[in-house]
Amino acid sequence: MTIYCLPDFKSVVDKLSKKRSYNTIEEQIIEYFFNNSIEDIKSGARLNHSQTEPYIKKRLQGAGGFRMYYLVNIPQEKVYLMFVHPKTGSEGSDNITDASKAKIYKDVLQAIKDKNLFKVKLEDGQLTYNDFNDPD
Amino acid sequence: MECLESKDTIETTFQVVRDASYSEKKLKVPTEEEINKFLDNILELQRLLLDKTVKIEYVTELLEKITWLDKINEDCLIQINTLIGVAKDFHSTLIRQFVRLNFIRSKGIAKQEIKHFKSAIDNLKDSIADLESVFFSLPQMPEFNDTTKELSLL
Repeated sequence: MTIYCLPDFKSVVDKLSKKRSYNTIEEQIIEYFFNNSIEDIKSGARLNHSQTEPYIKKRLQGAGGFRMYYLVNIPQEKVYLMFVHPKTGSEGSDNITDASKAKIYKDVLQAIKDKNLFKVKLEDGQLTYNDFNDPD
Repeated sequence: MECLESKDTIETTFQVVRDASYSEKKLKVPTEEEINKFLDNILELQRLLLDKTVKIEYVTELLEKITWLDKINEDCLIQINTLIGVAKDFHSTLIRQFVRLNFIRSKGIAKQEIKHFKSAIDNLKDSIADLESVFFSLPQMPEFNDTTKELSLL
């Protein structure tokens, strides 16, 4: 399974990681996306009715109540991390609007076309953001 | 003169001690049995909140699973619409219960359990809103449907 993310996703994670109440964000991403199979991450709410490219909203367990939005390309075994926001605390917010859900969905399509994505890897227990063409 | 001052002091002290003594005699100190009953009630409340939280989380999970159903026709949409209504009613009931717990929360009793209870209620609210989005709002956005089509062709 290869994991990519939008540049905006990286910025949000970097910002949240610096705050004490959200500094488990990377840990939670690692736990969920790097310790599970592609079948396991097909959970949460599927937003687009697609069997092969489900667009998923998932509540991560743990502090902050993070909401993750991601796209899974099942045939190609690729995951695209699109957006994350905490539910609680100073940066916490309610459910995003349908217009926002549609926008980040369109953004990821464009990013895939333009190859404007980071390849996310786990190195020495930490997330690293690499060039799109970086070898697996 | 000095003797009068002393007498006043003694009299004042006498009144304070007399009142304190009388109050203490009247005051009913809870028995061990009563204290145990009070603590049992707190434990019972904590158990009740935990059970409720587990039940709400289970319902939330079931609602999320509805979004993974692939064969949805008009009848299914009518059923889902009814389901959303019932789930909203369930949510309203839980919110009323949470509001009634405010007094207990302000006393610092079962604080953690009430926090988890509220978090489960919020997650339920999210999953109801997601159901509406998935089956009724997002499919009506042409741009959203176009993105799905384009992604399937990549």
